[in-house]
Amino acid sequence: MIQLQWKPIRFSAVFLLLSMLLFASTSVSAQEMKQEKKSKLHNLIPDYVKLQYAGGIGFMSAGVGYTFFKQRLDVSMFYGYVPKAFSIDDLHSISLQLTAKLIHITLNDKLELLPLNFGWYAHHTFGNDFWVRLPDKYAKDYYWWSPGRNAGVFIGAELKTKLLASKSPASGTAFYVRIGSRGLYIASKAGNKTIPFTDILEFGFGVAIYR
Amino acid sequence: MRVIQSILFILSIIIFASCEKMFDYSPYVIDFDEENTNVNSKNMAKIANQQNDDSVITIAFTGDTHRSFDETDEFVKSVNEINNTKQVDFVIHVGDIADFGLPKQYLWGNSYLLKLNTPYFVVLGNHDLVSNGGDAYLEMFGQYDYSFVYDQVKFIFINTNSLEFDNNGNVPNISWLDQQLQPNSSFRKAVVLFHVAPMHSEFDPNLIDAFNQTLTKYNNVLFVAHGHMHDYSISSPYNNGITFVNVYSVEHKKFNVIEIENDTIAVETYSF
Repeated sequence: MIQLQWKPIRFSAVFLLLSMLLFASTSVSAQEMKQEKKSKLHNLIPDYVKLQYAGGIGFMSAGVGYTFFKQRLDVSMFYGYVPKAFSIDDLHSISLQLTAKLIHITLNDKLELLPLNFGWYAHHTFGNDFWVRLPDKYAKDYYWWSPGRNAGVFIGAELKTKLLASKSPASGTAFYVRIGSRGLYIASKAGNKTIPFTDILEFGFGVAIYR
Repeated sequence: MRVIQSILFILSIIIFASCEKMFDYSPYVIDFDEENTNVNSKNMAKIANQQNDDSVITIAFTGDTHRSFDETDEFVKSVNEINNTKQVDFVIHVGDIADFGLPKQYLWGNSYLLKLNTPYFVVLGNHDLVSNGGDAYLEMFGQYDYSFVYDQVKFIFINTNSLEFDNNGNVPNISWLDQQLQPNSSFRKAVVLFHVAPMHSEFDPNLIDAFNQTLTKYNNVLFVAHGHMHDYSISSPYNNGITFVNVYSVEHKKFNVIEIENDTIAVETYSF
């Protein structure tokens, strides 16, 4: 019983550590490539902070992350919270997100529109109910999915503005919307015409402040 | 700039107002509206006021609906049609209304059952208990163990998903079952409904004997019905006079109707 309780915590710790390592290593190599005079420490500062409403990863989620390949790829980490008022118990989770931002349209010198971003996320919910590895009491593959960690996809759009650009270290503020679904929902809808498509959608929007 | 800002603002208000439901906070949010709460007790209230017109208690069974939502829809239509020609007193779902235990799956499953033109009752299944599904069941259907009397027959619904409770010795709750079966003037016979049967490996091995002994103790159990194994079967596996009916799960596009008349039962199978 004790084992069952600490396992999800250990897995989430590994998950968190790996994500942090990924952030650290890639940003160091980016720094080497850029050959800029900025200090290593400065480059470790996230490229943006985000605050998101809904989107399946929390009532409100706070995130940080880095951009790569001339802002074509975002790697973000969110902490999401659902207060008890919206469910029968509060929910804590983290998610790792990859967003491909392939199309950039410059509207004018102050506005840039990213009309179609593609994203993938892994969502980890904390708590004993939300196991990641099938507890030992079950036969192998008794339940094939993992309630504690599951993944989803989304598409989104973003409008980058020069809001807060004068406030160092910010370079601008972006507003974004996203609509997606997770594997568990898609598997539920599959083969069922009577489930409305809108039922499996996760809608969200947020704001990002760029460095 | 101003124009774009206003357009964005208006757009977000429209989106927010029109698809509030799509703003998903987490797959584990349990936030059910009125029609999706206390479902079993609401149906018990309906049963209490219902007259059995034909002296036969007719019960339509389904179960293990999991992610077979379209089939559940067809089942409901089929039962409603039968109920137009002969009285179906109520419907019993023998558990696993959800597959991943997700609140959303509870909502989907119940959305079809709400269209039944007859009362219905849902048993707790093992899949309904995954993640925080046990809380979703409490919120949507009510207590895990419950009972009611209809036309002198007591229907006893009991949680037998021992493994989900780590075979803790309290699932199934034998003393509660014993208490429910103790004869009194309100009922003549009893029917016991559960999801996992004592023949299944998920049933607490230490409670199999106590469970079977309790079923035979007062000599008043007419039959028991369960799910979990999706195929239909009728047998007396313990040779103790207790008839076990494993009712068809919905994906077979078949369902069983059990008629109780003069303390005997007749099982029929319908296809849809």
